[in-house]
Amino acid sequence: MRKLLFSLTLLTILSGCEKTITVDLPPGEEKIVIEGTIEPGQPPIVIVTKSQSYFAPTDLTSFLGIYVQDATVIVNDGVIDHLLTPVCSDLIPDSLLDEAAALTGIDPQLLANANICIYTKPDLLGEVDRSYSLRVQVGDEVVTSRTHIPEPVELDSLWFRLSESDGTDTVNGFIWARFTDPDTTGNNYRIQTRRINLGEDGRPKDDINIAPIGSTSNDAFINGLTVDFVIFRGNSPYETDPEELANFSFARNDTVVVRLLSMGRDEYDFYRSFESNISTQGDIFTTPANVMSNIEGGLGVWAGLGVYERTVVCVPSE
Amino acid sequence: MKFSSLVLLVSSLFLVGRVEAQERFSVSGYVKDASTGEVLIGANVYIKELLKGTATNAYGYYSITVDRGSYTLVGSFLGYDNVEQPIDLTANRTVNIEMGLKAIVAKEFEVVGERGGGNTESTDMGRAELDVGKVQLLPALLGEVDLLKTLQFLPGVQSNGEGNAGFYVRGGGPDQNLILLDEATVYNASHLFGFFSVFNADAVKNIELIKGGIPANYGGRISSVLDISMKDGNDKGFHGQGGIGLISSRLTLEGPLVREKGSFFVSGRRTYIDVLTKPFIPDTSAFAGSGYYFYDLNAKASYRFSDKDRVFLSGYFGRDVFDFNTSDPDDPAFRIPWGNATVSARWNHVFGPKLFMNTTATFSDYRFEFGADQENFAFSLFSGIKDYGLKVDLNHYANVRHTLRYGGQYIFHTYTPSTVTARSGETQLSIQAPPILNAHEGAIYVLDEFDLTDAIRINAGLRFTTFSHVGPYDRYVLNDEGERTDVIRYDDGKLVKGYSALEPRLAARYRLNERSSIKASFNRGAQYVHLASFSSIALPTDVWIPSSSEVKPLIGTQYAAGYFRDFNKAMYETSVEVYYKDMQNLVEYAEGADPQGNGNTNFDTQLVFGDGYSYGLELFVKKRTGRLNGWVGYTWSKTMRIFPDLNEGREFPSRWDRQHDLSVVGLYELSPRWSLAATFVYATGQAVTLPLNRYVIEGRLVSEYTERNSYRMTPYHRLDLAATLKNKATRMKRDKTTGEKVEVERKWQSSWTFAIYNVYNRANPYFIYFDNEGNIANGNFQVVAKQVSLFSILPSITWNFKF
Repeated sequence: MRKLLFSLTLLTILSGCEKTITVDLPPGEEKIVIEGTIEPGQPPIVIVTKSQSYFAPTDLTSFLGIYVQDATVIVNDGVIDHLLTPVCSDLIPDSLLDEAAALTGIDPQLLANANICIYTKPDLLGEVDRSYSLRVQVGDEVVTSRTHIPEPVELDSLWFRLSESDGTDTVNGFIWARFTDPDTTGNNYRIQTRRINLGEDGRPKDDINIAPIGSTSNDAFINGLTVDFVIFRGNSPYETDPEELANFSFARNDTVVVRLLSMGRDEYDFYRSFESNISTQGDIFTTPANVMSNIEGGLGVWAGLGVYERTVVCVPSE
Repeated sequence: MKFSSLVLLVSSLFLVGRVEAQERFSVSGYVKDASTGEVLIGANVYIKELLKGTATNAYGYYSITVDRGSYTLVGSFLGYDNVEQPIDLTANRTVNIEMGLKAIVAKEFEVVGERGGGNTESTDMGRAELDVGKVQLLPALLGEVDLLKTLQFLPGVQSNGEGNAGFYVRGGGPDQNLILLDEATVYNASHLFGFFSVFNADAVKNIELIKGGIPANYGGRISSVLDISMKDGNDKGFHGQGGIGLISSRLTLEGPLVREKGSFFVSGRRTYIDVLTKPFIPDTSAFAGSGYYFYDLNAKASYRFSDKDRVFLSGYFGRDVFDFNTSDPDDPAFRIPWGNATVSARWNHVFGPKLFMNTTATFSDYRFEFGADQENFAFSLFSGIKDYGLKVDLNHYANVRHTLRYGGQYIFHTYTPSTVTARSGETQLSIQAPPILNAHEGAIYVLDEFDLTDAIRINAGLRFTTFSHVGPYDRYVLNDEGERTDVIRYDDGKLVKGYSALEPRLAARYRLNERSSIKASFNRGAQYVHLASFSSIALPTDVWIPSSSEVKPLIGTQYAAGYFRDFNKAMYETSVEVYYKDMQNLVEYAEGADPQGNGNTNFDTQLVFGDGYSYGLELFVKKRTGRLNGWVGYTWSKTMRIFPDLNEGREFPSRWDRQHDLSVVGLYELSPRWSLAATFVYATGQAVTLPLNRYVIEGRLVSEYTERNSYRMTPYHRLDLAATLKNKATRMKRDKTTGEKVEVERKWQSSWTFAIYNVYNRANPYFIYFDNEGNIANGNFQVVAKQVSLFSILPSITWNFKF
């Protein structure tokens, strides 16, 4: 939104000009980055990476260097320590790559091309209203965190409405949701969608669950209320087609999995500041801000998520 | 310091009370422009035989008290012919002086016997006045004459990058400048996005900036005072002026209400980018219905009941209108209306030859609104301030050595820091009642400007200020999670939090000889209003907030010293000043604060507090007269901030830290019709925060910022040129009685100004951002840094007229 405003200013007032420059930055300190989630009925998924200097090489090999393969990852469920084991993509059969992508959020193509390890334990399944602590050791470095899986919050109903742009669009539209916020303050939410119907290439339209920018919010303004809200479609971080990237709508007959995630305050702070960080890069309207992490000694998040999941077929409801 | 200034005050009061041995009388009155009747501010009036005198105050009033005798009274003002008048002081006398502008072209630009330069004479430090007539000859962005941008050419005054009308004085933030328009506070002096200031140069008579040694009659801001006086209007005849420029047009009308007793003045300006671009946006275009324009309206009326009583009523009203609509209802639509309004009603009363009083009632209103609609969701954010003020100032011309000023001020503030309303479908989202904050601000002051010896002049003052935040107010008690657990309710008028401060001000001048002096000043001030800003440019998310139980008053202390010297009969004024400024209780938003997070919590929850300091050296050389005139200003400075909760507690450079800042302003009168002007600026690059590291979350690149403001953009420099061509000032007319041809002045005068902004097309950095291209999975991923520049070389043409 702000970017839009800004570009408009430039358009209206004058022609600005832009050029690529070389920026000489001192090398930054490498840190451990955790991207870990645990959902009810699902095993924990923990991805361990490292931060890099901003202008470190970006070829595939250098880039893959951020994935840590030799970490010791332990999750404690309040009773015992569970040692998670690395599952590496070179051992995943091609037939399961799509499933692995959906589970980890990593592009199936990337999983196929490179050996990426995530940490998990198939028989450790998340339980609602349970706390989980995390301990990750890489070499001599240790980072820790703790999270809690809250009660999922249900959506009352979901429906699809065609876009009204010029009255002729009978193809695209948005998913609408009605939900009732519980009458207690401090509920935090995030919305994800995934189109599971097949695209022209014969593969599911989305490989992973996608949270569009601005999908994280809380009940500060809606505590205890029943509200209707519109769900925009996000794009995969691996999407490069500019036409797709500019499109936030769903198509008629898309089959979409809608996920309403509920989470604690620290996890909410992480996702909100993460969305703000990636959407405000280069934005003069804001002061640059770091992502707020709940990882002690590192970056990233360890998030227990309450999940409400429902599938909607995009047929206009009248 | 506090103690010594008190001692000086007491001793000066004692001097006033001293029994005067010889019979003394006063000569007093107003100094005016002979052709328009406008009073002249800061004109010198002195007794030729004694070389003792004074300068007129902000209302053009002067008073001099000397021993009985016969003297010559001289009035002098730059650009005007000196006026000499013999006076026989055997009783108190009222002498109004009317001064005429210098002949149109003097063959030789000589400086006639002015009494020393005001520069070395007064105790003023860090004070600058702009000659509005000259400012209008300087090159301006798109031909829009801008007083605030011209101020940025003065040493110690920094701009905030390209095209920004905001100004930053000696390391202080934009909220630390007290901007007064006919004594009413203007809270935001820029139009939308900061490219243009709200002051229409046609409406301004006098503009004065005080950046150090702020006298005790001003208060409420710690860094500077910008005192702008609107024109009163011509009380002798009906006149008008105006102009047509690339992006705006102006029209001013003025004339007598009652000849030589009352006058009116109305001036308006409107931009027409919207009108110009509309024909090029077809109705079917995606952007039909979008537009941006602003307008300003200044109006003033004055009436003189007698030499003793004069009243003024003046006002300013300005609005920005920004609409963004697309033909696609799925796309968001925005409205950003904002603006300032001020009203001042003033009464000047002369009690006697030695006592002058000004009473002003003021009203200021600043509002910013942001509304957005998308699909079924509507969101709007409002913030604003309303002030009602009353102020009484007395000038007491005790004797030729002492001028006392004392008075008081009261302001009732109502702040709306930020109110959010939102609607989703049919449901009004639960937003708290607008948190309107009420506060009383009061001040009393006394200052004495006196000559201790012939060489030493002291300006000592003391200001006492109070501030109380009062109910109705609900303070939320929050737990560690930031959730509300309780509410403390304050009833209407009940004190929530009060503050008071004693503010000593001291300035001293020691005259080394006729041409040079050294000066020193100390001042301390308290500020009870703070601007919390998310970005470096003016936006709705910038919110004015009052001091509260959490937000302590901003305290500024400044020490300055300088050497001032005139050359060649004050044709050249030069000065070297050094300063050190300490600022306590500065406000910033916490890292990661969310503008929308202000809802349903206390207005000051997201703020963090810290201190700052700035020191610097300023050099200034000004050529005041001659065909070639102008100035060179250079500043070397350092400005730092220390916030326990920002940058991990480490000191960091302020956004306004500029090590080097150079400005050159030159005007050259080529011929009676042609004048040329050039300005050049050079400034150390702006300090910005860039990420040092990146990492990946959900397949997206996250920036990690480590050192705040540690990166410097490339230096800013720019040259602008302008040329103004006036039509012939006179025409030949046949005299009906004699039949001879005589030269008479034209009633209708016009001029063309041609200007080029950024002559050598420098791509000055506006901001830098990092972007990434390609796909990680495909291996063609790339990270690049991009620099955005705003204004390339821009010619402009403006036509101005006057009748």
